[in-house]
Amino acid sequence: MSALVRMRLAGLLRTGRALAPLLAGLITLGTLYGGGRAQPAEAYGVSAVVLFPVLAWQTKILLDVEPDVQRRLAQVTVGVARERLAGLLAAAVAALATVTVALLFPWLVGGVSGPVDPGDRSIPVGLALGLWAHVLVVPAAVALGALASRASVGGAGYGVAVLALGGVGAVVFGLTGSVAPWLAPPIMAAARTTAGDAAALTVLGLSGWALAWSAAVVGGYLWRRRAQG
Amino acid sequence: MRLENVWLRYHRRGPWVLQGIDVRIGPGEVAIVLGRNGVGKSTLLQVAAGVLRPGRGRVTDRPARVGWVPERFPTDQPFTVARYLTGMARVAGLGRAAADEAVTSWTDRLGLSAFRSVRLPELSKGTAQKVGLAQALLRPPGLLVLDEPWEGLDAATRELVPELIAEVLAADGSVLVSDHRGETVRLPAARRWLVADGSLSEETSSPDETIAVVEVAVPAARVAGTVARVRAEGHHVLRVRSDASTAASQALPVEPLRPAEPSLKMAGEVTAEQPEAADAAVESAAGETR
Repeated sequence: MSALVRMRLAGLLRTGRALAPLLAGLITLGTLYGGGRAQPAEAYGVSAVVLFPVLAWQTKILLDVEPDVQRRLAQVTVGVARERLAGLLAAAVAALATVTVALLFPWLVGGVSGPVDPGDRSIPVGLALGLWAHVLVVPAAVALGALASRASVGGAGYGVAVLALGGVGAVVFGLTGSVAPWLAPPIMAAARTTAGDAAALTVLGLSGWALAWSAAVVGGYLWRRRAQG
Repeated sequence: MRLENVWLRYHRRGPWVLQGIDVRIGPGEVAIVLGRNGVGKSTLLQVAAGVLRPGRGRVTDRPARVGWVPERFPTDQPFTVARYLTGMARVAGLGRAAADEAVTSWTDRLGLSAFRSVRLPELSKGTAQKVGLAQALLRPPGLLVLDEPWEGLDAATRELVPELIAEVLAADGSVLVSDHRGETVRLPAARRWLVADGSLSEETSSPDETIAVVEVAVPAARVAGTVARVRAEGHHVLRVRSDASTAASQALPVEPLRPAEPSLKMAGEVTAEQPEAADAAVESAAGETR
């Protein structure tokens, strides 16, 4: 199965289509960090929110660059379950690579600062929280991107709609006082947590929420794939 | 392998393409799937290969390793021939060295050596089809499913396909093949499955079936096209000669041909289209249909 993961990653890199979401992400992050220096935890929390639609888009591109017949060939060769899993794993690896770029980016453009006031978090704690916020986004974004992929929704137009609704919904339903916060992955809540009081229990709770949301959406993706034949 | 009461449709409210297909193919057996365009031949093959999941019914005892040659190989991929085939060999579970060896062996055999570093989108249809064949054979398959494998292939490779099939059969594999060009006369020992109206019937032949030979006269310039059409109808073309004197329609004695040959219809149509022509003659053998 790792061979199929490698082949799909190679397919993404060789087409060059991966550049579009990466550039969009970097431009947004550049604008974000260009506004002034912030402490790592706070900056990374917002960066993770920005990355959610970017990573979902990247996942959709990764799954969509493979022609339908090639995907069926892969399925015949490795079986249904491993074909699905290889796609999700390849998307997760690609997402982690983009996350790495996003984590390094503010240091390259001077967008982060160390603790200023005595009560501020140290840089390592800020980094750890930032890393957590980004890693939290990966499964949710991969799940949304997979649900929006051509193999799942059929036509291209529906995929874009799913992606847009998911991206906007994550922000709208994630706002403080949202009527249905559980409809969205907790990326906004994670950003608030990194900026404010990050209790261990909150971090654990949000992690569980993110995993449960991702699992539900992946379930939807697998169900759609089954229905699509 | 066995298809048990397999039903399939592409959309929830769509028509059933396959309706209660019940068929079995054993090791060392080859079956040709016949039928008109759009009747569900590819659908049946894809169910057998495990690409499509039946809406009802099930497929049992499918061999672990399946090689599927799709009707159109997907060339819209950013790989060279060698890189693609090596990737597929690795996906099929071969180690690095074994994958390289398999790719070298199959590219040599299928005449793809010169195309190893050519990118897939730049391949001609026939060459792409060879890549499709190669990927299915990188690991000896227990079930080989060929969807119109002769489409676009050059003469040398067309001759090679029955040889490849024979090798799979010799290793106790099963082969399913669809064809609408009449190329399956190259597989005389094959079972013949006829798909029509969503159901499948097996053409059985009796050894004492009557065979007739029909001579058809066509203009010399149209010989190639006529031979192709007569073959596409499933008739067996015995020979082509340019002698006009014997071109008149004449019934010949029964010859010991393959038993399962279709009707005289095609030959009759050819004559009717060109009644005045006597520049060349095509001898076509045909028998009774069931």
